[in-house]
Amino acid sequence: MQNTVTAHSFPMRCLGLILVVFAFCLPLQSVALTWDEIKQKARGQTVNWFMWGGFPSTNAYVNGYVARRVKEQYGVKLRQVPVKDISEVVSKILVEKQAGKHEGGEVDLMWINGENFRTCKRNGLLYGPFADLLPNQKLVDWSRPSVRNDFGEPVEGLESPWGSAQVVMIYDSKRTPSPPRTMGDLLNWIRHNPGRFAYPAPPDFTGSVFVRHVFYHVTGDVESWQGTFDEKRFEAAATKTYDVLKEISPYLWRQGKTYPENPIRLSHLLADGEVDFAISYHPAEASKGIHDGLYPDTVRTFVFEEGTISNTHFVAIPFNAAHKEGAMAVADFLISPEAQLKKADPEVWGDLPAIDIQRLDATWQKKFDQLPRGIATLSNEELQHHQLPEPPSEILIRLEQGWDRHVLKKR
Amino acid sequence: MVTPALAVVTALFGGGLVLGLAQSLGFVPAVGMDSLTVTHFTNVLGDPDFIDSLLLTLYISGTSTAVAAVISTAMALILVFVAQKNRLVHFVFQIPLTVPHLVIAVAVVFMLAPTGLVSRMAIKLGIIDSSASFPLLINDRCGIGILLTYVWKEIPFITLMILAVLRRSGMQLLDVGRTLKANSWQRFRYITLPTIFPSLGAACLIVFAYTFGAFEVPFLLGQTYPMMLPVWAYKNYSDVDLLARPEGIAAGLVIAGVVIAAIAISQALTQAARRRGVVL
Repeated sequence: MQNTVTAHSFPMRCLGLILVVFAFCLPLQSVALTWDEIKQKARGQTVNWFMWGGFPSTNAYVNGYVARRVKEQYGVKLRQVPVKDISEVVSKILVEKQAGKHEGGEVDLMWINGENFRTCKRNGLLYGPFADLLPNQKLVDWSRPSVRNDFGEPVEGLESPWGSAQVVMIYDSKRTPSPPRTMGDLLNWIRHNPGRFAYPAPPDFTGSVFVRHVFYHVTGDVESWQGTFDEKRFEAAATKTYDVLKEISPYLWRQGKTYPENPIRLSHLLADGEVDFAISYHPAEASKGIHDGLYPDTVRTFVFEEGTISNTHFVAIPFNAAHKEGAMAVADFLISPEAQLKKADPEVWGDLPAIDIQRLDATWQKKFDQLPRGIATLSNEELQHHQLPEPPSEILIRLEQGWDRHVLKKR
Repeated sequence: MVTPALAVVTALFGGGLVLGLAQSLGFVPAVGMDSLTVTHFTNVLGDPDFIDSLLLTLYISGTSTAVAAVISTAMALILVFVAQKNRLVHFVFQIPLTVPHLVIAVAVVFMLAPTGLVSRMAIKLGIIDSSASFPLLINDRCGIGILLTYVWKEIPFITLMILAVLRRSGMQLLDVGRTLKANSWQRFRYITLPTIFPSLGAACLIVFAYTFGAFEVPFLLGQTYPMMLPVWAYKNYSDVDLLARPEGIAAGLVIAGVVIAAIAISQALTQAARRRGVVL
């Protein structure tokens, strides 16, 4: 296993280096430190972790458990800096780069993925590659497409995974005893049950991912979209996607004249019995809904037989971070078995692990298996066997714009 | 005394406007856009949705202001003549002033959605058979939910503005009118209306400007498309594509422009009316 990782990451590292040097001609900081040296330098550093602060359970996990443990283990003081939108931090670092501030930056670690990672990578805003230096990296299955590529953008060691998300469909088994199991069946179900289905309007995150599922369905292909962007092929596939969505829109909730603005509203529509399905990026959310009294305890979730889109969220270190070693120590702790186990506990946060459970020894595996699972949450195996990667962010943006023009405004 | 407050307002709002104007003219050096251009404005104004959004916004602001103004005038008269001594009525009347727009918008969703409280009660009482036959009152074409929210929220505001004037100077004049044998319509038209008009006009203008530029109520209660201008501006500003930001700001400045124009026009009309000696 160790071998595959190294064999895999060595060319990636070279490629990353060449790309960064070539494209941005930046003086690259030396990353040729050993882990012991990194640990030594990290001691006593204060790491400022900029992250989206809108999730109380995440904040409690970071400020409580993680901060305490990295202090004990590495002597690193962790300071969470909650932000409303991490893209603001990305623009800040971009401005710092233009202003020539190459060291002593305030941001040591940031929680990012997708579009923001792409912006950072393309503008040379990241330190690294550093992910391969972290000892716990051996627990990560880099061969999984949703880890190797962050929304189609090769990660190349410039960020380290923290957790993952996967789309699940939520339904009430009492009302809908046998829900459709594929996207094709779901589309037929919508046609036969007018007014009983809705998806949030893109660019809402969840609405947008539903459109991508339709896109994968009509093109019957997932893998080929991961590579370089082919304008002609994309246009043809996108047109087909919009045609299907336009065709089903009269059968949607409110005849598709208006859409729920976000997944929260959609989950209320399901709870109120206005629609029969909700969509969520968080596999444990339905169980939480039952626990909170939003849903009846007959609510369940499922994934499509062909799979549902899953993505990984990462942490990255800016090129000008003042405390890179401390940040690496934190990034390594985040993918340690104990931190991942704690994070997966539904009582704590319930986020899917970023590490491959099969790579752990039997005792740890057992601990993960024994985690309390909500009644509506699918097993890790079922989820992991039904994962599709996100398409590159280019496709995501184009689909959102095209949906707006063709499906919403019917031009 | 006013200078420090004025300085803060000027610095914050004036500075914001200048920065906004710079960005809407394409001056965002951080992402390498450093020349001035009017393309963002022409893009906004030339967008086929712009007219729809503008008309919808004018319709919502205009209607809610007009309806609120009529009801407020009636309410003020009632409060002055009928319930002047009744403290409870006055108290109840002031409740909406303390509740934020956002809270009311959410309350309207819970009350008036097809599966909301009102619909459920109607089903229980046997007025309708299912939530499907409940009329669409939110996220609807005519913006009924938005209008209801604004009218409910603005009536106390306009009423209190009028009440202050009526209490101060209205009563003696009405007594004079009565001794001169003016009937109740004449007293209203030639005494009350001219007395309250300046405050009524000012209050209406504030309400119009607010409803024209407010975001949260139409975001929650409006249709996905067409959308009111503030929602449109927000959507552009928060686009993943940083290049769409200037268009969002341009749309925001168009909103500011319309509001300023509304103030200028109403001022000009009032001045002109006064000059012609119209009793207003």
